[in-house]
Amino acid sequence: MTKTLVTALVLGMTAPVLASGDGGGSNPFAGDIGNALWTLIIFVLVLVVLGKFAWGPILDALQKREQFIHDSLSEAKSARESAEAAMSEHTAQLEKAKAEATAIVEEGRRDAEVVRAKIEQDAKAEADKLIERARREISLATEAAVGEIYSLSGKLATDVASRVIGKELTGADHERLLGEAINDFKAVQRN
Amino acid sequence: MGFGQSLLASGSPVDHVVQHQLWTMPLDLGFPFTPKGEITLLSDQLVMMMVAGFLLVVVLPGLIRKRRGSDEIGCLVPSGFANFIESICQYLRKEVAEPSLQEHTDRFIKYIWSVFFFVLTINLLGLLPIAAISPFFGTHIGGTSTGNIYVTTTLALLTMFMMVANGLRLGGMHYIAHFCPGPLWLAPLLVPVELIGLAAKIFALAVRLFANMMAGHILLAVLVGFILTAGTAMGTGGGLAIAVPVILASVAITMLEIFVAFLQAFIFTFLTALFLGMSVVFHHDDHGAEAHGH
Repeated sequence: MTKTLVTALVLGMTAPVLASGDGGGSNPFAGDIGNALWTLIIFVLVLVVLGKFAWGPILDALQKREQFIHDSLSEAKSARESAEAAMSEHTAQLEKAKAEATAIVEEGRRDAEVVRAKIEQDAKAEADKLIERARREISLATEAAVGEIYSLSGKLATDVASRVIGKELTGADHERLLGEAINDFKAVQRN
Repeated sequence: MGFGQSLLASGSPVDHVVQHQLWTMPLDLGFPFTPKGEITLLSDQLVMMMVAGFLLVVVLPGLIRKRRGSDEIGCLVPSGFANFIESICQYLRKEVAEPSLQEHTDRFIKYIWSVFFFVLTINLLGLLPIAAISPFFGTHIGGTSTGNIYVTTTLALLTMFMMVANGLRLGGMHYIAHFCPGPLWLAPLLVPVELIGLAAKIFALAVRLFANMMAGHILLAVLVGFILTAGTAMGTGGGLAIAVPVILASVAITMLEIFVAFLQAFIFTFLTALFLGMSVVFHHDDHGAEAHGH
């Protein structure tokens, strides 16, 4: 504003000089087509030379940098999205693995329980079988022993009787007497 | 004859900010082409413009090539002064050009960058006090080329050429239709108005830069002139007494001028991008038409 006023003032002061036709040094509009031609030549030269050797490389660098930043941001975005997807996938897999591990442990526990029960059952059955066999063997042994006692007792009795009666007994007598003695012995035992 | 003496002798601060011809050739093309019946082949302002062009062409390409490294990433990172240039370029591209030029930004960005750096370099070179010391060497060089209406008008006309040529090339009938935005029967009224609007844009572009650069320099010349006027009227003591506040004010105004050099380069560039965008970007209207059609 101040400058405009000063210009107006100066132009106002110099107006009489301009009007008087003394257009020499005091004319602020001094100049001619020569100035215009030189301006055109120098500016076009500057435009062409700088366009090739300065503005071209700068524009190229700016465009490349913009593209590079754009690409880098796009890559970073896609990398982040991939990482987030991978993360969620890994989380899901981890959850699944946890669930599977829990299931496996549970199944193992159940299997172990079943195996334990089966082993117990088998062991019990085996023990029962052993006990039963032992009982049978004891029973057989007992019967055999008793039979042997009977047989030995009969023989002894026969021997004693023979000596007592002084008579030789025949084999048939032995058999008969032995049978009678066993039967008597059994009857006594039952009673 | 020094700056002060010449200033005093001329009696007008405008003398020291206008062009001083160094080499002319008689040629009468009439007003406005050759108002004095001669064509300027070389002047102090033209020398400064050549220096500006030389500096841009020779120095800038070397400065922007500095990169952090040569690998894939290092070559994308500027280093040293290239940072400064590239950040300005990127700002102009993204914040100034792209809102107006949209998909055409990279097509015109070299022109936009050239306009900005060309105007800025000329503006900044114009702040160097070369014109004040060159008379000691028997010549007169220095000055601000953008303080010459013919220079700024040429740059503005180049922008108009870019607007019209690219508007026709990229838009065709769309661009021509812009000159008659209303019903066809209003064309006799609207077309001249639009044409005047186009001319006004170019006129404003040229005059704004010229007036701002001219005004700052005239202001400085007026301030320095106070010292000489006081010295003449009140003697050496009076001149020295006035010199202190005047020099302080001149320093402050010069600081302002540095800011104005950047600001005017920016405004010229911004308006160039804006006007160019108005000529080559059409799809907003297409969307509007489609919306109305639906």
